[in-house]
Amino acid sequence: MQFLECRGVGKIYASKAGPVEALRGIDLAASEGEFVCLLGLSGCGKSTLLQLIAGLEARTAGSIRVGGIELDGPSDETSIVFQDHGLFPWMTVERNIEFNMKARSVPSDARAARAAELLTMMRLSDFAARYPHELSGGMRQRVGIARALTTRPRALLMDEPFGALDAQTRGRLQEELLQIWEHQRTTVLFVTHSIDEAVFLADRVAVFSPQPGRITATALPRPRDPETPRFTALKKELRRMLVPEMYGAALS
Amino acid sequence: MPSRVFGLLPLLALLALWQAVSWAQIYPTLLLPPPAKVAAAFVTEYPDILRNAAASITRVIVGVSLAFCFAVPLGLLIGRYQILDVLADWSIQIFRSVPPISLIPMALLLFGIGDKPAIVLIFLAATWPLLINTIFGVRSIERTLIKVARAARASEQLIFRDIILPSAMPAVFTGLRLAIGGGWLTVVTAEMIAVKSGLGYMILNAQLTFRSELIVAGIVVIGAIGLISDQGVRALRARVCRWQEGLTAEAE
Repeated sequence: MQFLECRGVGKIYASKAGPVEALRGIDLAASEGEFVCLLGLSGCGKSTLLQLIAGLEARTAGSIRVGGIELDGPSDETSIVFQDHGLFPWMTVERNIEFNMKARSVPSDARAARAAELLTMMRLSDFAARYPHELSGGMRQRVGIARALTTRPRALLMDEPFGALDAQTRGRLQEELLQIWEHQRTTVLFVTHSIDEAVFLADRVAVFSPQPGRITATALPRPRDPETPRFTALKKELRRMLVPEMYGAALS
Repeated sequence: MPSRVFGLLPLLALLALWQAVSWAQIYPTLLLPPPAKVAAAFVTEYPDILRNAAASITRVIVGVSLAFCFAVPLGLLIGRYQILDVLADWSIQIFRSVPPISLIPMALLLFGIGDKPAIVLIFLAATWPLLINTIFGVRSIERTLIKVARAARASEQLIFRDIILPSAMPAVFTGLRLAIGGGWLTVVTAEMIAVKSGLGYMILNAQLTFRSELIVAGIVVIGAIGLISDQGVRALRARVCRWQEGLTAEAE
């Protein structure tokens, strides 16, 4: 059975100019421990889908199941990481990391112990008492990931988490994320607009075509080496799926 | 940052100007006392000045404290729940436009002469800036932060305590500074009409008895207390909102 399953998911927003259809008929599944990238151009609805799966917004059509249970609001099985990290500026790193546990009424000594574990794992122990604005962008996002992992979620939902980082930091965090994932074997749903990032990270890439969003998926074999022709061919294929009209125009 | 001592320059210039004007005998000494005479008044009249200052300060503290306990919780609720905002918005806009001084006659009719009308007027003067700034503070919370809390399934109580209250705190302090300023303006005026003690009463009484040096002494005390209380609130804010250090352009 698939751990995470979307069937015929649609989302229509009410706006002043009338209803706007952001998603239509989305089918997407991820098995336990699978790393799936949602790849699409901006405005294609990939972040909207993630918000629906996180239970932050209500779908207007279809069904979403997490761990076999029909989703109604945020699930205990998932944690979300945002692009702008979503750290509370008035809390120290440690208190930020503890927040998700606090929200679930984990007793404070257990919270502190688990936070210490993650601080060590993310190499943040020296910064436990700092405030978020005293950290670099990459470190902030590591705090965001640590916070998401504290509750041992079975699925990690990541909304362009490295989108605001410089190339070097991004590359390092991608590798760290893969290490964490190999170690913890959580399902990962990772939204990105970067083909390179998707090809580097994912077991499977779900490509969004925009307005309203629809999905075609493609599976990628591991291990991956960016230097090989195979890798280049994958990127080419994804680019063709992502922007077919642009690709056609470039050829002619 | 330039030394704070710089801030004394305009005051010293004003003092020099005052001295020059009294030497030039533009006004008779009886109407515009020279600085030395005012200094002498401080020495001889200090028990009186102290007693009246204490009376005024007490009224402001009581009035502003009452307003704080009323307006801040109310502002947090109005900021958080749109229905309360719709309910309260027009009333707030109407009542905050009424200068508290214009309510003195009404306050006299309802509460007579004494502390009560003065405190009621200070309460009214202090309520609006506190209420409006608290609402604004709640409104300006980053949306992502609320999403983080919802995704973590934080209770409404935890959201209020750990997110809404701390993130509104800087705005609450802005409101408090304005409230104390407004309360201070109101107390002096109210004391000229509604009470038989306090700095406002002292000044008005000094005018009736041609003690112009006491008028000036009263003004100096009012200004000094205003400066000290504002510095106090800023220091308190810097402590409570320590996380804000380095986040804003305003270096305190």
